Amino acid sequence: MPFLRLEVLSKKFGDFWALREIDFSINEGEIVGLVGPNGAGKTTLFNLITGRYRPSRGKVLFRDQEITYCKPHEIRKLGISRTFQSCRPFAKMTTLENVIAGRVFSGKFRLFPQRIDIDTAEELLELVGIAHKAQTPAGDLTLSEQRRLDLARALATQPRLLLLDEVAAGFSPVAVKQAVELVRRVQQKGVTLLIIDHFLTLSLRVSDRLFALDHGEKVAEGTPQEVMRNREVIRAYLGMRHEEP
Amino acid sequence: MRGTKTTKRRHQELRLADSILLLGFVFLLLLPVLARDSDYVLQVFTHAVLLATLALAWNILGVSGSISLGHAAFFGVGAYGSALLSLNFGFSPWLTVPLGGLVATVVATLMGLICLRLRGAYFALATLAFVEIPKVITDNWDGLTKGSLGLVGLPGFTALRLGRYSVDFGASPAAVYYLVLCSALLLASLVALIFRSNLGLALQAIREEEVAAEAVGVQVQRYRLLSLLVSGFFTGVVGGCYAHLIRYIEPGLVYGIHFSAVPMIFAICGGRFTILGPALAALILYPVDQFIFHPLLPAGHQFLYGAVIIVAVLFMPSGFWGHLRKGQFALLKTRSVE
Repeated sequence: MPFLRLEVLSKKFGDFWALREIDFSINEGEIVGLVGPNGAGKTTLFNLITGRYRPSRGKVLFRDQEITYCKPHEIRKLGISRTFQSCRPFAKMTTLENVIAGRVFSGKFRLFPQRIDIDTAEELLELVGIAHKAQTPAGDLTLSEQRRLDLARALATQPRLLLLDEVAAGFSPVAVKQAVELVRRVQQKGVTLLIIDHFLTLSLRVSDRLFALDHGEKVAEGTPQEVMRNREVIRAYLGMRHEEP
Repeated sequence: MRGTKTTKRRHQELRLADSILLLGFVFLLLLPVLARDSDYVLQVFTHAVLLATLALAWNILGVSGSISLGHAAFFGVGAYGSALLSLNFGFSPWLTVPLGGLVATVVATLMGLICLRLRGAYFALATLAFVEIPKVITDNWDGLTKGSLGLVGLPGFTALRLGRYSVDFGASPAAVYYLVLCSALLLASLVALIFRSNLGLALQAIREEEVAAEAVGVQVQRYRLLSLLVSGFFTGVVGGCYAHLIRYIEPGLVYGIHFSAVPMIFAICGGRFTILGPALAALILYPVDQFIFHPLLPAGHQFLYGAVIIVAVLFMPSGFWGHLRKGQFALLKTRSVE
């Protein structure tokens, strides 16, 4: 059984189809890269899976349970978490508080953060490599640190499926290498990953499969090698010569 | 080297902030003794503490990022609710004041259902307009509220007896002062608890980044409504206290823009993201206005008052308490990493 399955999923904004009839599935334990040029519909797809948008048509199934019209917090409870392209840290709260906030609203409600919540948050900051910034307001972190924080906050919710939105965009080669290791370590913890990656910095190295979108439609699916050779994908990224008659 | 220096300076600043707090607290406790010759001084501070309580209550919603310009609705409904219950049924104010708070909570639910779908300036405007609803009802329901005539002769707080000791609030301004001070301290402790709890964490997360808060599992609208209800309840309780302390209310007074604007101004000047900032601003600004600006410029003291507020907001956008405690707004007690 597929872990996550999308069935003819479509989203229309006004007269514009942001996504059209997407059929796609992910197996448990996989790392899948979601690629495509600007405006292809990658982030819209995330917003549909996490319940921020309601689809115009189609279904989302997670572990054989339909979650198409669930609210964001319900979907979170089922074990799907995400990071944001623009990071969206809780800027005036400390880095540690950000991660604690990721954890305490997932399970049973408790009135105060427990020792274990704080300890886990500190471990996660350690994992993403910003433990030394624990008491810094999140708004004061650099962009790369904010991306790590966003990842730690998403991991704090203990997801089964993690959606990463441009987690390595704008990273230096060294930082990309660290990000690759980090994603592998997350996978080893038993988390399935779907990675949006416009520039393919990360997905070419870690993905088991790639899924390519253009103008809201699926253009290719397969191993990274297959997808990168696909004419449609090349055209989407690079444009195409005028057809010779 | 530089790191340790700044840490040291920050510690000094924090110690300064703590000393100010302690001194201020002792001053407030001893005030009736210090000012035993002047009922006026005591009156001003009683009102200042009352406004501090209002600002604390306002900030329970304020910390979630919503700016309300409609808290006079809760204040007025609390005042009228309590006053009418005590006048018509002869209940003691000790009972009717919390009941007035509950009536205010009902009104807060209504406001929440209507206004909470809005954000930012739109929310603020809607709350400002909302005040007119209970105000117009109170103003025109002559049979119940005597309309714009107002209610006079409200019972005061009855004396508290404990064995041979009794505290008579009718005869002693100092007793009234301590009553108001105690409620302020109680509310401040409660606000501290709320801000440090997971509820406080959720409210701040909503303020900082609502979409991300939703993504980590915060039920945004539920928490926003909850904070509005708690905030409305305590504002209503303060309204009830006010009614039985001055023993005369009318719609124009208790639903006035004054009681909407003043807690907001104090909260923003003192520091919206701090626990005590709003209360401290009330305790400093109001007496300064009454004792210094008023004698200086009897006709235009509000001009000076306004100028001080503008300067405070311009130079300390996080409020003066937020400014003093900069770098220490961490609300959670966590393992120190220094």
